[in-house]
Amino acid sequence: MPVTDGVAARWMRRLATVALIAVLVLAASALASAWAQVGPLGGPRPPPADGMVGWLFAQQALFYRSLAGSIRAAKTDGSAYWGLIGISFLYGIFHAAGPGHGKAVISSYLLANEETWRRGIALSFASALLQALTAIVLVAVAALLIGATAKMMGDTVRAIEVASYALIVLLGARLFWVKGRGFLHALHAMRSGSPNAHGDGQAHSYNGHTHDHHHAHEHDEEESALPWGHAHGPQPQELAGPGGWHRGLSAIVAVGLRPCSGAILVLVFALAQGLFWAGVASTLVMGLGTAITVAAIATLAVGAKAAAKRFAATRAGYGSLVLRGLEAVAALMVMALGVLLLTGYLASERLGAF
Amino acid sequence: MPYRFVLLIAGLASLVIAAAGAAEAHPHVWVTMTEELLYAPDGTVTGVRHAWTFDDMYSAFAIQGLESKTPGVFTHEELKPLAQVNVESLKEYAYFTYAKLDGKRQKDAFLDPVDYFLDYDAKQAVLTLHFTLPFKAPVKAKALELEVYDPEFFIAFGFAERDPVRLVSAPAACQASVEKPRDDNFPATLRLNKVFASSEANIGMGASFANRIWVKCP
Repeated sequence: MPVTDGVAARWMRRLATVALIAVLVLAASALASAWAQVGPLGGPRPPPADGMVGWLFAQQALFYRSLAGSIRAAKTDGSAYWGLIGISFLYGIFHAAGPGHGKAVISSYLLANEETWRRGIALSFASALLQALTAIVLVAVAALLIGATAKMMGDTVRAIEVASYALIVLLGARLFWVKGRGFLHALHAMRSGSPNAHGDGQAHSYNGHTHDHHHAHEHDEEESALPWGHAHGPQPQELAGPGGWHRGLSAIVAVGLRPCSGAILVLVFALAQGLFWAGVASTLVMGLGTAITVAAIATLAVGAKAAAKRFAATRAGYGSLVLRGLEAVAALMVMALGVLLLTGYLASERLGAF
Repeated sequence: MPYRFVLLIAGLASLVIAAAGAAEAHPHVWVTMTEELLYAPDGTVTGVRHAWTFDDMYSAFAIQGLESKTPGVFTHEELKPLAQVNVESLKEYAYFTYAKLDGKRQKDAFLDPVDYFLDYDAKQAVLTLHFTLPFKAPVKAKALELEVYDPEFFIAFGFAERDPVRLVSAPAACQASVEKPRDDNFPATLRLNKVFASSEANIGMGASFANRIWVKCP
């Protein structure tokens, strides 16, 4: 076991405790907000969003509204394109910070898995890019090529949505299967025999490579982890093979498949103004903004996980049990999010009720 | 070390916000509404006549792919299928219309919509949906309260700036008043979107987004 004396170790422990508490709060708040959505139609009005969240809403709604204005202006004034690009970027950043299941799924996924921050960022950018591309392809094919109506586009989006949410459920279920078993293993290991001996064994079987970094600076530890295709623990390997992209791809597709309603509306509006390319540029830049926000959150999720891992390393047996439990909860959250989205209890987007 | 600690706290706070935010939305459709309450000769309210004007972005989306004889102009006839889809889809959302009689919330107060049609303003490039919701039973109440809002806030409803509510052939003693949502961002909306300036659809989720109509008949 690592030597846990000294100031650094004490800080690490405090950090890890904070991380664990926050993760629990995260899980609780996700559940609470999900439950808050469950209610009879026309029932109690949702609580007003004030403060930080309300401000986020107001910002993104403002940017969204000014998108229409800048597209209209671009029709007569070429310089308005720059304004459109700037607003699209800001809208992307704020939009991702507000609604959308993408970051919740990605950060839970990262908590459940052992990933490097680089991979977290790559996942965020890839899923945001895919999301922008689905919107562009959908509108290009549906509106531009076959002259589909709003209803046809709405139905297509709904079909994609169902597929995307089902994928999230599957992704979560697979993760939970793996992580739940990991948790049971850890539980079993702790029950049978002295915690110390088994804790040590558990740490070995779980993640051999951490031992190489025991004495390295914590920050370096994260950076020196291989960004791609890094195999973590035996269980994911069994299921997804050693290829990291393989595993990441399911998360990218599950999150990025469903196009953003805002992007579709912007694209169709731009098309109606005869400025389809302005819409395409706006959508791509929006995707870039979204990616930056999601990547920031993903990085923090990876950081939280790393802190929890360090905490686990300081406690034999028990620590690894907590870590496995945490992963199982995060995996369950991915699945729960998917189920809530699929059943419509949690709606992050809706393309028109008309 | 304290730096990393702060970073971590900030990060975890963001995670919490992220998870909470997953259930929230911001509107993609803005509706400017004028409302009429229809009265029978005996002084009872028979229904509500809505006129909802959509923002230009959503209007462009709604008319996408529709055919018209004259490009850029749509007749009521040409928009008929769309109006049909609109009122049918709205049923699932209870027409976003909630009635309270003498302080009591009414469930399933309305029959299916009648007299519905879409109107396209080619100059502003906006669509207006007109439809009438008849009360299941004509209503006689001292205080009638009507609310129009989307509980999920995908649609931001707001009263038209001028004459948002009209009482049609109401007894002389009846009086209507409106309660508008408090929205600090409204002036900013005006600045940004002049075409839609006549709307008071609120931009963000302020302290309240209620659009309430009070009718008092002493």
